[in-house]
Amino acid sequence: MIDAATLIWGVAIGSIYVLLATGLNLIFGVMKLVNFAHGELLMLGAYVSYSVTTAFGLDVYLSVFVSMGVVALVGLAVERLAFRRVLGADKLNEIFVSLGLILIFDNAAVLIWGENSKRLTSPFAGMSVQLGEVFLSYNMLIAFGFVIAILVGLLFLIKKTKIGMAMRATSQKSEAAMLMGINIEHVYIFTFVLGAALAGAAGSLYGIIFPFNPYIGALPTIKAFAIIILGGLGSIPGAIVGGLLYGVAENVARASLGGIWGDAVAFALLIIVLIFRPKGLFGEKGD
Amino acid sequence: MFTKENFLKLFQTTKGRIALAAIAISLVAPLLLNDNYMLQILTLVVIYTIYASSWNLLASSGQGSLGHAAFLGIGGFTSSLLAINLGVPPIIGIFIAGAFSAGIGFLIGITCVRLKAWFLAMVTFGFAVIAETLFSEFNDVTHAIMGFRTPALLFSSRLPFYYFAVLISIASVAVIYFIMKSKMGLAFRAIHQNVAEASMIGINTAKYKLYAFVLSTFFAGLSGAIYVHFQRYIQISIFSADNSFKPLMMSVIGGLGTIEGPIIGSVVMVFIDDFLINIDWFLDSVLSPLFPAVEYVGTSIRLVGLGIFLVIVVILLPKGLSSLLHKTYHYVRREIIKSE
Repeated sequence: MIDAATLIWGVAIGSIYVLLATGLNLIFGVMKLVNFAHGELLMLGAYVSYSVTTAFGLDVYLSVFVSMGVVALVGLAVERLAFRRVLGADKLNEIFVSLGLILIFDNAAVLIWGENSKRLTSPFAGMSVQLGEVFLSYNMLIAFGFVIAILVGLLFLIKKTKIGMAMRATSQKSEAAMLMGINIEHVYIFTFVLGAALAGAAGSLYGIIFPFNPYIGALPTIKAFAIIILGGLGSIPGAIVGGLLYGVAENVARASLGGIWGDAVAFALLIIVLIFRPKGLFGEKGD
Repeated sequence: MFTKENFLKLFQTTKGRIALAAIAISLVAPLLLNDNYMLQILTLVVIYTIYASSWNLLASSGQGSLGHAAFLGIGGFTSSLLAINLGVPPIIGIFIAGAFSAGIGFLIGITCVRLKAWFLAMVTFGFAVIAETLFSEFNDVTHAIMGFRTPALLFSSRLPFYYFAVLISIASVAVIYFIMKSKMGLAFRAIHQNVAEASMIGINTAKYKLYAFVLSTFFAGLSGAIYVHFQRYIQISIFSADNSFKPLMMSVIGGLGTIEGPIIGSVVMVFIDDFLINIDWFLDSVLSPLFPAVEYVGTSIRLVGLGIFLVIVVILLPKGLSSLLHKTYHYVRREIIKSE
């Protein structure tokens, strides 16, 4: 039933959701863009890590940085070629473009890497440290450390740097930001690329803990959206708390009710929350 | 609604003539083709027309569902389980299935009407996942995991079934057409354009969104029931995300918010899907040297192409292929008038 190990696994998967949800929340907060293809960037991140570790023998944890860079570039292309052209029009169009991108990314991944499930092999595979009755695997701990480091860096970027200030200004009111001399076009590009890089990192860490195939992207996307609905639009602390809670709730449901319930319970939770709070748990302002 | 004038209009306006021509084609096509395989594809087109039109009706009120497969599946399971367990004839069962699906749609709709476009997309997607989970959890009742053979719909031969499906499809599209033409349809479009402004001019947005939800899920359930009696088989996979995205792609490619859009879209998509073996083999034979890592690349290349096609249509033709036809028609007409 529900023991410490279940909770800790929940936190581990939750921390990956946190990275994905934070990136998605940035993109939504600043650009008001609904990117349902965000999880495909996670999938791509996992495969980039796989390629550089098998081809060049790079350490998996160093490959996280490579995949952040590569996925950021892919994000740049996606923003310029596709989303830029439907931004600000009908919200449904953004969802349609996302679905097209999902088809493209999933099948391109099949063409390049094949359909079989892959796994990143870490030098610490199978090693764990005992804490009371619970065994914590090194991989999980390192992944958790990565997530914390990335989030600290991100908060610094947003709170302390000039581009971060521009992002915050744009998210509050893009017209006013424009009048203050901010080039919001550049802010949009930067935000999307940053969000893509976070998804790339999430993908590499996902690949170290779980096996992956070209189709893993869809569900994490939807879950990341659920998390930012729960945590509040545009709120990064909300995404962190929401992501960890979601990961734990999903894992507890899986352990106590059976594997197939993991996804359904989490969605049921989301629907119940939305019945009582149509704008999310902490959400007050919308787009 | 059905005055003599309106009926005459069918023959006098271009729109009416196109509609009559489409109906005529759908009636004559199987006789001309006279081929079992083609008949099967045509039937699929006709069933998907109902399904895509139902999605399109919902989208016309600004609510883009990502989980319409839930209602397709609920409709399918309702009709086939009623037939097997209670002996309800499928010809009645399909309408009960539509009504039941609309009932569930009402309940989901209540939660959805207050949500923004993409919250709604999330909730509907989530609902399809929940429906799939529930149907496999209660496998003793639903027999969903292994699937089962569904009874025939009155006639087991293919041609009468086709004409029956055409009849239902024409009726459904006509009903949806009149809804879109009515005050309700106007309210849907107003809500789609701007919810705040729509409510400011006195439209009860929650009520009309709920109407759209119930009507749309009725037709989705109906099409699901017809679909499973056509396939003569039902399984849990009917709830797949693939089935949820199909009506969306059909409507978007054909023309969002138009009557003809879902029809054009289902013709295009079903034909792409069903000639896929040939397309895939062709792509595979031409392009496989480029991708040495994978044994068979045809399907994936086609799907990448489909994705690119969808993105391009959304960016360049936001009103879908139907707007392209409109433009061509007006262009040709102008040229003809000019030359005269």
